[in-house]
Amino acid sequence: MSSEKILRLAISFYIILFFAYLFGPLIVMSITAFNSAEFPRLSPWDCFSTEWFGVLVNDARIMGGFKNSLIIGIAVVFVSVPIGLAGALMLGQLSNRVRPVFYTLTISTILVPGVVLGISTLIFWDRMGMMFNAGYESFFYDGIVLTIIGQSTFISAYTMLVFISRLQRFDPVLEEAALDLGATNIQTFRKILLPFLKPAIGSAAVLAFLASFENYNTTVFTIVTESTLTTVLASKVRYGINPSISALAVIIIGLTLTMAFIHEVLKRREQAREIALKKEGQAAKVKNEPYKVSRKLFRNPVPVMVLLIFVAGLGTAWKARGYNVQQCKIEAFAEKRKMQEELSKKRSSEMKKKLEDQKAASASANTSETKKAAPGTDHYGSIFAPTNLEGQVESDEKKTETPETPKNQYQNIFAPTNLEGQVESKKQKKETPETPKNQYQSIFAPSNLEGQVESQE
Amino acid sequence: MSADVILENITVKFDDFTAVKDADITIKGGEFFSFLGPSGCGKTTLLRAISGFQDPSEGRVFIGGKDMSGIGPNKRPTALIFQNLALFPLMTVWENIAFSLEVKGVGKTERRKKADELLELVALPGQGDKMVNELSGGQRQRVAVARALAAEPEVMLLDEPLSALDLKLRQHMRTELREIQQRAGITFIYITHDQGEALTMSDRVAVMREGIIEQVGEGTKVYDNPSTAFVASFVGENNAFHGTVRNVMSAKAIVSTGTGELEACLPEGIELNIGDKAIVFARPEAMSFVKQKNLEKNVIKTEVVHQEFEGHFWHLILKGTDDMKIKMSQINDGLTQVYEEGAELNVKIDPKLAVALPFGPLAAE
Amino acid sequence: MILWFQKFFGRNGLVLSLYMLLVSFIWIVVMFVLPQIFMFDFSFRFNWTQIDPSKIGGPEDVYTLQHYKFLLLGSPNNPDPFNIVDVTVFARTILAAAFVTLFDLIVCYPVAYYLAHVAKGGVTRLMMLSLVVPFWINELLRAFAFRILFGEEGTINNILLLLGILSQPIDYVRENIALYTGLGYAYILLMIFPIYNAVESLDRNQIEAARDLGSPWWRIHWRVVIPFAKPGITSGCTMVFMLSAGALALPQIIGGPSSLWFTQIIYQWFNTGSNWPRGSAYAVSLLVICVILVLLFMKIFKVKFGEIGR
Repeated sequence: MSSEKILRLAISFYIILFFAYLFGPLIVMSITAFNSAEFPRLSPWDCFSTEWFGVLVNDARIMGGFKNSLIIGIAVVFVSVPIGLAGALMLGQLSNRVRPVFYTLTISTILVPGVVLGISTLIFWDRMGMMFNAGYESFFYDGIVLTIIGQSTFISAYTMLVFISRLQRFDPVLEEAALDLGATNIQTFRKILLPFLKPAIGSAAVLAFLASFENYNTTVFTIVTESTLTTVLASKVRYGINPSISALAVIIIGLTLTMAFIHEVLKRREQAREIALKKEGQAAKVKNEPYKVSRKLFRNPVPVMVLLIFVAGLGTAWKARGYNVQQCKIEAFAEKRKMQEELSKKRSSEMKKKLEDQKAASASANTSETKKAAPGTDHYGSIFAPTNLEGQVESDEKKTETPETPKNQYQNIFAPTNLEGQVESKKQKKETPETPKNQYQSIFAPSNLEGQVESQE
Repeated sequence: MSADVILENITVKFDDFTAVKDADITIKGGEFFSFLGPSGCGKTTLLRAISGFQDPSEGRVFIGGKDMSGIGPNKRPTALIFQNLALFPLMTVWENIAFSLEVKGVGKTERRKKADELLELVALPGQGDKMVNELSGGQRQRVAVARALAAEPEVMLLDEPLSALDLKLRQHMRTELREIQQRAGITFIYITHDQGEALTMSDRVAVMREGIIEQVGEGTKVYDNPSTAFVASFVGENNAFHGTVRNVMSAKAIVSTGTGELEACLPEGIELNIGDKAIVFARPEAMSFVKQKNLEKNVIKTEVVHQEFEGHFWHLILKGTDDMKIKMSQINDGLTQVYEEGAELNVKIDPKLAVALPFGPLAAE
Repeated sequence: MILWFQKFFGRNGLVLSLYMLLVSFIWIVVMFVLPQIFMFDFSFRFNWTQIDPSKIGGPEDVYTLQHYKFLLLGSPNNPDPFNIVDVTVFARTILAAAFVTLFDLIVCYPVAYYLAHVAKGGVTRLMMLSLVVPFWINELLRAFAFRILFGEEGTINNILLLLGILSQPIDYVRENIALYTGLGYAYILLMIFPIYNAVESLDRNQIEAARDLGSPWWRIHWRVVIPFAKPGITSGCTMVFMLSAGALALPQIIGGPSSLWFTQIIYQWFNTGSNWPRGSAYAVSLLVICVILVLLFMKIFKVKFGEIGR
């Protein structure tokens, strides 16, 4: 029996670990949004600040991309929901031989890699444009239109699946009854089928919007000269990231949790209503149920926790009224400077000692050991390594470092470029010291993506 | 407004299965007509052919004198009440009833008025605003009828509408449906496998077996004068005595059976020759007891196997000389004796009520 | 055939029939099949658009295997016997995708099973919800979260340094751990739900019976549960594999120097390489290999194509 218990414990532990894996990154990221440090991190914790939210809102590229993502998302809903519906209806009427072929074709749109869909859509309409001798301003080359088309190709399959699942619960005899009573086909469709499908239409629309909003693989090809939120975020890799992205994450996570919460509440209310209906069979009594439901809801730990967090957040915000970010930063700055000086003194004295020791030992080993003596200098190598993305960000600081000064987090403060903040689009683009060392280096050279960005500015 | 329905040589085939073979009937306007038969006999298919959901492979359907070939179900003057009722779950009761008016573009107030009228007709006053799933089985039945009536059809088609109800409710609804039909004066075409229903409600009955219509006629005729062995065994209970024809006289036949020699009536139009295989059918209520053995004809020796009490009837399960199971019924008039198992009884079969028919397939037990 | 159309139009009326037929046609043919065909065709053409637009449509606009040759053999001046870089990247992408699939399978199977059979009602709902919520959050933001965690000055390094386990931060990015963990994370949902659906329909009594007969838990899974869940497992693996092989955002954001993804090369040909036909050829190659692998996989495990549902 005890070995089973151990097994059970192990499994529970595993499950907990699993969910930590799932939520960990998100929680960490959310917290970094409130750290005033230039680079998103948990420690060291500079100051609590909400400035990055301001940076986020002022970032024209992000906001522009966000707007496009919204437009495309809504358009995709209006395209993919009717397509998915048509597909689901067709599927129910095809013969047993044709149906699997149709189904395979439509599901393939999901299986085919997103990049392939994006590329094929781009090429197809490009060639179509050539056939019609259309100019570059026409819709054949419009990034927004192409993205809508490309995304809808596979998102329609998602909506189709939603409709199929709902249709399976539909009693086709109802349609016959309507016809028998004199309704035309369209009337039957409008008055009998569509009302039944209403919940499915809702889910399909939400699904389509979310899938479109977060799509990258297909979008990055079809978007041509425009940008969406996802492409903007991806291009930020080149410029280095700052906590404004964490701020964006916090907002989106907050929205998502709220939506999930609302969805749960609605669902539970619906369920309670159905149960009450079965028991009593009278709609009148159900009106009182929602209040009972909400009380039951609070026995569930999750909404309680969320509420607690919310209250705690409010409390902290209240307390923080007297808290001045700038002041804190200046203090932290001074503090770090002091520590930095102490550390550098310590280090240089250590180094001197080591140098003396080394000189005594052998002369030729000097240069290499000097390098070794400075902890972390192997990271210099990373600057020149072709594709170290981390290196790009920190490389700014390293440029201004003297070889003896150890690389550590505090360096950020001294790099002049960093003091201006890493808010892009206003500052000049820095050429990072990457020199292509092999034939595919060009892929990661930041200047390559500048072409995309430049067209917007 | 009612119309007559003429089925002209209707055959319905599905791939290699023939559901209906050469059905040819005229149903009179205003009649309550039933199709009676076991499951799979083709009655539902026939109903769907009349309502327009199934195209006949051969033959034509005439409603009110008009050929219905190629006309869809929404354009035929028929209304169908489905087996599972098919009430629209997302609409209220009155919306369900008024649906046929809604699709014609009738205004809301008028629709509501008509719906309320029909609710009164089917004895469900004031229930209009409820949702369908709040009603009981019997109430839903009536809503289905009201909904069909609202379409003002010339022919009403009913597909085993009472099969899902319990006995008492079924009996009650039988009377109600009949009353509604007589009040509205519409042609009702009703299909069922329950011969009690068919007999109590209909003006005429058509008995079907495996796609073929075996007999059409009034309930009494079909019961008293079945024209085939199947009809005789399906409609009501009947004891079947198998044997060979020994003699034929005008309207009478003498058949030599395993239980003895029996005299029976020969129904009109039925031909039997000496030596033919035949069955003598005797209803349980067409039998009586006799004390003396040899004084009368059509007396058989039996042994009691079992006695049952069914309310207004006593049933005796007897065993004949060839071990054939015989059922005999007596009205419960308070004078019925209780018999012991194994008791010997002499039973007389009334020759005027017994029927001799050519050998044929019987209804399954 | 014509009979079918007659029946179809009769059953649905003119407007609805036209809607269903036209829309389905446009979707499948115009939005999906034709573009694939065009892309396929395009991959066999010279890159005239960039080199010399006047030659388009002219006599020199013929088909060529140039791009596929390049993928395999490299440029004409390539000293190596074949295009080592591209081919290696291709192979590694496939292998890495397979690894990620396996990783996800091993990680998700216990959770799916737990969800289906061990967790009780309310807990199940909660778990389901908490599984889905992370995935409503933008894929890219999640990638950044991983970047924050795994960076040199990232959280994980910080914690480990603090705890004294490490004396120097590990470059996770270089070790590709970040990428693989990130990819595994991204497609967990797609692996869990098919397996969950398949396992849930397994009659619990079968498991009880096996246990009754004295079977140890691992054997129960091996002989009873897994064969039953095969369609779910296959569909989950198929989706994760295809999506991993075709991933673009994650490799770009948390990929290291030695984990270049094939999709990144494709992207490059379109972007700075300005050689769309070549990019198409690469894309077609990726597609074809993936499809072949998936079909092979399905055939080996004898599963049919019917099981992709959410």
